[in-house]
Amino acid sequence: MSGGYKQQPGAARGTTRKDGKRVAGKQKFPPPGSGGSNPNMAPRDLDWIPESVGGKEPQPAGSHIHDRYRTGTSVGKPRALVDSHAKVTGQAWYGDDVRLQNEIIGKILRSPHHYAKIKSIDTSKVEALPGVLAVATGQDAPNTFGVLPVTKDEHAMAVEKVRHVGDLVACVAAVDEATAMEALNLFEIEWEVLEPVFDPKKGLEDQDEPIHWRGKYHVGKTNVQKRVFQEFGDRSLVEEPSASSHGKWRMEGVHHGFTEPHAVVAHWDPNGRLQLYTPQQVPHYAHRALSTVLEVPMHQINVIRTFVGGGFGGKSDPFPHEMCAAILARKAGRPVRINFSREEVYWINRGRHPSHIEVKMTADEDARISGFDIDALIDGGGFASFGHVTSYYNGVLATAPYELGSFHYTGARVWTNKPASGAMRGHGAVNTRCAVEVGLDEMSEQLEVDPIDLRLANLLPPHSRTISGFRITSNGMREALERVREGSNWDQKFRQMPLGKGIGIGCGFFISGSGLPIHWDPNRFPHATVHMQIDMDGGVTVHTGAADIGQGSTTAVAQVVSEVLALPIEMIHVRSHESDTSPVDLGSYSSRVTFMNANAAIRAALDIREKLLNAAWEMIGYHPDVLVLNDRRIYYKHDPAVGVSYLEALHKAQEDKGSLIASGAYRSPPMGGVHKGAAAGLAPAYSFSAYVAEVDVDVETGLISCTDVWAAHDCGKALNPLAVEGQIIGSCHMGLGQVLSEKMVYGRTGHLQNPNLLEYKIPSVHEMPNVTPIIVESSDPEGPFGAKEAGEGPLLPILPAVVNAVYDAIGVRIRELPLTPDVVWKAISAKTKSMDGIDPTDLPAPRLNHGPLQATLVERGNEHRERDKKRQRSEDTSAYVNGVLFGFDPERPMEDQVEGWKTAVEPVPEQLAELGLAGKAWLKKEQRHMGGEQ
Amino acid sequence: MMLMPPFELHHPKSVEEACELVSSFMDSGESFDWVAGGTDLLPNYKWHINVKKHVISLAKISGTDVISMTEIGAMSRLGAITESKDVHPLIAEAAAKVASSLIRNNATLGGNLCVDTRCFWFNQSEDWRRSIDWCHKEDCGTGSDCRVIPNQNTLCVATYQGDLAPSLMVLEGTIHLIGPNGSREVPAEEFFQLDGITRNVLQEGEFVLKVTFPENVSERVGSYHKLRVRESWDFPEAGVSAAWIPGQSETLRVASTALESIPRLHSEQVAELSGDFSASKITDLSVAVMKSIKPVNNTALNPRYRKAMVKVLAKRSLRKILEASE
Repeated sequence: MSGGYKQQPGAARGTTRKDGKRVAGKQKFPPPGSGGSNPNMAPRDLDWIPESVGGKEPQPAGSHIHDRYRTGTSVGKPRALVDSHAKVTGQAWYGDDVRLQNEIIGKILRSPHHYAKIKSIDTSKVEALPGVLAVATGQDAPNTFGVLPVTKDEHAMAVEKVRHVGDLVACVAAVDEATAMEALNLFEIEWEVLEPVFDPKKGLEDQDEPIHWRGKYHVGKTNVQKRVFQEFGDRSLVEEPSASSHGKWRMEGVHHGFTEPHAVVAHWDPNGRLQLYTPQQVPHYAHRALSTVLEVPMHQINVIRTFVGGGFGGKSDPFPHEMCAAILARKAGRPVRINFSREEVYWINRGRHPSHIEVKMTADEDARISGFDIDALIDGGGFASFGHVTSYYNGVLATAPYELGSFHYTGARVWTNKPASGAMRGHGAVNTRCAVEVGLDEMSEQLEVDPIDLRLANLLPPHSRTISGFRITSNGMREALERVREGSNWDQKFRQMPLGKGIGIGCGFFISGSGLPIHWDPNRFPHATVHMQIDMDGGVTVHTGAADIGQGSTTAVAQVVSEVLALPIEMIHVRSHESDTSPVDLGSYSSRVTFMNANAAIRAALDIREKLLNAAWEMIGYHPDVLVLNDRRIYYKHDPAVGVSYLEALHKAQEDKGSLIASGAYRSPPMGGVHKGAAAGLAPAYSFSAYVAEVDVDVETGLISCTDVWAAHDCGKALNPLAVEGQIIGSCHMGLGQVLSEKMVYGRTGHLQNPNLLEYKIPSVHEMPNVTPIIVESSDPEGPFGAKEAGEGPLLPILPAVVNAVYDAIGVRIRELPLTPDVVWKAISAKTKSMDGIDPTDLPAPRLNHGPLQATLVERGNEHRERDKKRQRSEDTSAYVNGVLFGFDPERPMEDQVEGWKTAVEPVPEQLAELGLAGKAWLKKEQRHMGGEQ
Repeated sequence: MMLMPPFELHHPKSVEEACELVSSFMDSGESFDWVAGGTDLLPNYKWHINVKKHVISLAKISGTDVISMTEIGAMSRLGAITESKDVHPLIAEAAAKVASSLIRNNATLGGNLCVDTRCFWFNQSEDWRRSIDWCHKEDCGTGSDCRVIPNQNTLCVATYQGDLAPSLMVLEGTIHLIGPNGSREVPAEEFFQLDGITRNVLQEGEFVLKVTFPENVSERVGSYHKLRVRESWDFPEAGVSAAWIPGQSETLRVASTALESIPRLHSEQVAELSGDFSASKITDLSVAVMKSIKPVNNTALNPRYRKAMVKVLAKRSLRKILEASE
């Protein structure tokens, strides 16, 4: 439907000609169908219709398959989230707002020991306490669960042993909270205390009593939960580098710090069905786990997602307290509510893994990146959670946006006797990304080049394949870098500011929806399904399982439906709270919701659109190809006066059928390699980002203040620019916390020393820099109207940008996060000591004199800009595979071109001696290879 | 969610009534706490730390919120002190650096002086403290050891993290106490008493009524520097105040806070200057102050760093009062 919408129906003036004929685009029309606050049809807003279909919206990144369904109604317009009224008026119902009749209060007894066997639990005194209505222990629900089917290692309550201080031991429900708390003191428990492990390095060693036992797959008698080895590319390229960086990092664990503590209400209804109210990001997994643990079929459980007061990955596991509430409610025969204190939130944790990360990287004589060698030892705490995936992500998500000569990764996740780590915004990618970007900064210094130019000359283009086989589609990395460079006035500041003032760059790369649905075969079931229904009133009810956790997924779904059907967004009602009415959905993780659910919603809306247009065809006799949908009216393209109102068309379509219903689904195409772990990190699209941060460092105290951030993020297409900017600013805040002040402190006794919001130091609004969000739109061919994720990727670059800026300010590289003032001061002191004890205020600020390679890189960057533009607009459709920059032919398998081009997922024996910290996990054999448990 | 443990709240309307009330509790042996703004006491109560049966609020006692150059009532809110034009600028500066504006609107001068000492082994929930078998400061009758300095249960080294004390000391403030046995006055530097449990000289039943300053306090020029991770609301990790009457070296006073279980006036180190305070002496004096304190590991930042920062903070405070005098 190209050629353009020339008509402007609804305009007020000049509606008649002297000859009596109608003037195209200047007619008055009868009011459109009901709905919306304005009885008259709004004129078609060409500013919001893409050039490729005749509107005025510029499309620098080319056209998109969904362009022909753009109606200029909602997409691209900044708007408040559809649930914002409920939130700002205090009417949104969060977990703790649910109040059921007759409800009683559940409390959880938690372990005072790091690691201990439970020899016996005597509950008789608890049961005897007046007011106690139910008591449960691990014996009431011995089935295991876990968010990933491959690592189900959790129980509702400890069955045999407790694995960290705060682990669940038993629970009790009583008439009020005070009674329940009193009851907790009456449990009599006999413990056998075991030797705990806190240091992840110790977790690599054999232990008498490993924290979990994986049977024949257990690695020796260690606490290794998952180990990964990956090697790709031509490893000979790393020999004789012209620049290299080698950094060992120590990153503390951080927590999501969401506003709403966990809360759950369980109620067995009169029919014996469980109604569970919980603020979940992933209600479906909780649904499955509840079924397993309670031994009740899934159809007898209704999971009701309340409003979620922030999740960030911290509410995506099925949680043991959800099981506890259900067990207690079943026993007591009354609804049971469990609310967490902030301390309990820290005990259930699932925050970012404390990590030891080692990154070696090299560049060749042309400043091409010849190799990344990454080793990541991550501290999983007491349970597996998402750790299987995290173990991969720490490596594989570093394979872009740069073109690499080779890639080597060893990773290991170990169990320790601490609260479990899990998924957190930027899952698995954040720490390694920081280490890699800082390494690039260091290499650019050795090469005497600008770090932005080093990056610009080594980027993978749009429509390419990474060294590990990921399919990159749209890619706005280059534009993001160029725009932050310009916005921050980089060329006038970098390496030119006085001591204590610094500027730094960092990039990011993240998945837009995990390509593999964890629980089913993607070739058989879709990733996301959306149902839609329109009754005679004309309102559209959309059923989706997309869990809005504050990121605005409900708004995104409503917007795309509104766009396709050209209806005001007030007419779109999204229902997403109950598993009884929502189609199964994987929930809000891996930044998949906008990409997958909005795609599914578009498909359902297209189905409805077709029905409406066919009805209009029947009524006015024009084929749908020449019909135009605009605000509540359908008309003939070449004579807008000929048309029907939306409601008339709808009622025509409903004849004999009643309300219109439609269903849409999205599934990602087959992609990726075939090696072990190839699916980890695979996504239908990837987001890219580049940030520049400016900092002030007090050289005497080590206090860092981040003053300004220029944050460019490629989200494909900003469906709602307001929400995207919010995500960028929010990501900045969260990342700043990790880089400057947040850490989970485990003291010398292994106790979590700061489980409260005073001592767990989240930056306040006072610490926030001025953030200039810059939206880059690369129009992803597969995204809904071109959109990709904006929820997690924007967090990544702020960490390295700040660390690099600190180096620019004081000339000291620090590889310990967070950069609390004591850490910075220690590094500065070491530096001044090495310089004959000079005063820190006399430190030299680093300077850059461009070397000969600078011109080479600028030239290559310019060539690549042209290359990328062509590839983005699909003029250049040749294959592009990581390796072309190194002279390889993309049309032939790499293995045929160079002997030693690798795709390895296990180390060969001669490699074992030189493996890094996490790589040492490969020194142990699995039980099945030891003649042990088969 | 944290449940507030039950207690009985009393609202005496006058000092006399408060003294009578507290006498009756002392006679009957019932436990009680004073509460002013409640921003320190109530969070501790929610953690079930030293919960008492009775809580006596000072909020309704009239005339205890006077704010002037020479007198500040104990019930004066820190927010009001911050905004007051009558108060000594150093007091306003220090008050403005306490916590956040929300807390300052409730918190009081008296409460800030009497703020409980803090320690990450202590400021935790009951479950948490049970998991470490309690500690000396709140041993729940177990005779537990101190967790900071192990193998002893005679000394509590919890850190005093009040912001205003050092500024009162360097301005020669006098603290007025009152109780059933009458009233008395102590110089600010003598108000505090080791250790982290004893905290100060208040006898059972006594409370702080007001702080007064000498008539010539307005001649003093002072400066307070505070170390903290987040400027928005953190407790001090170290703080140094300095003040003098410009040109009169013998009037120089330096005091520190948030480093040990009580704040300190550094008279000895100042005395070493032999009455000659000038720019060239700043570093030596700062080093001497730094050397005189011994922080322990029980706050957010490690003690080695906090100690080193005393030098920087002292230097900055001293430099500022010298510059302000030029």
